Amino acid sequence: MAIKKADVKNVIAFLEENRTRNTEVTLNDVIKLAEVMASSIRDLVHSTSPSITDEFSAISFEIKRMKDEIGRLRVSDMKHNRIPEAGRELDAIVTSTEEATNTIMESAEAIMAADTSDAEAYQAEVTKQVMEIFEACAFQDITGQRISKVVNTLNFIDQRVSKFIEEMRLAQEQEEHQHEETPEERRARELILHGPQHNGEGVSQDDIDALLNGDDKGGDSGSSQDDIDKLFP
Amino acid sequence: MALDLQMPILVVDDYKTMIRIIRNLLKQLGFSDIDDAADGAEAFEKMKQRRYGLVISDWNMEPVTGYELLKQVRQDANLSKTPFIMVTAESKTENVIAAKKAGVNNYIVKPFNAQTLKGKIEAVFAE
Repeated sequence: MAIKKADVKNVIAFLEENRTRNTEVTLNDVIKLAEVMASSIRDLVHSTSPSITDEFSAISFEIKRMKDEIGRLRVSDMKHNRIPEAGRELDAIVTSTEEATNTIMESAEAIMAADTSDAEAYQAEVTKQVMEIFEACAFQDITGQRISKVVNTLNFIDQRVSKFIEEMRLAQEQEEHQHEETPEERRARELILHGPQHNGEGVSQDDIDALLNGDDKGGDSGSSQDDIDKLFP
Repeated sequence: MALDLQMPILVVDDYKTMIRIIRNLLKQLGFSDIDDAADGAEAFEKMKQRRYGLVISDWNMEPVTGYELLKQVRQDANLSKTPFIMVTAESKTENVIAAKKAGVNNYIVKPFNAQTLKGKIEAVFAE
């Protein structure tokens, strides 16, 4: 079966059209090329082998399904709206908690430094500063609402990416794919950077005291008895 | 070793708020000579310029962590005896053991209160 130039004219046209383009090749470009190739060759092989035509139809169906799934990901919405917005919310949370903490600390420091010799003036000063502390604590309400918005965004991304992985049957491939350690992950591993633990994880101050004094061997898992015994002979 | 309220103390933390909290707690405990640094590298430079009676350091900082600072201090002949307390949210046993191996004198997990800080400082100087 010889392929003539006329059979692949659409493929040639597509490649010519994109030859001088300066942008990077995207997954959509690859899918489009595959579509053009599949439809060009389908007519050619139809006469010689109907089973090959069926294969091309199946490939074409899969390509269309993949395009639909990518469309449902709403990547542009995630990239341009939801993720930047979540970032802005988190920045606002950092700023508002910092401002509130500073206000509370300033009030506390003013109370500590207040002149106690005049009881009436001292009471007025304490009342004023305590009111400022109450006002500053209002940040918690707004922060809670901002965190809810970020959580909604994370759920949105999680649902769409999970559905995409499921539809594209990528889960098994992902599990088989060897994860390469990033520089950040390597630094965290080498310098033992776990960050704050949730309640019930990590060890308490009492456990730490016990570890340092040799009374006990700690609360969470991860260290062998031998390691601990070597430390506290 | 007696507790000297005049001794210079170096507080190392990348969060100014935490430095301010520890500074205020130390003042309440009677200490007056309190210096600070934003990470392990700045702290080490300050320690080479001035002899501190105590270092209170966070763990998780960039570019140089408190853990790296502790190891640097213990390897430096002039600084190796400096009392060193780690104050951190890193609360895995693995961290405590690593800090102990590196020569930490005490370890406080965040969040903490003035009583805990006082108790640990006293414990270090009672050794």
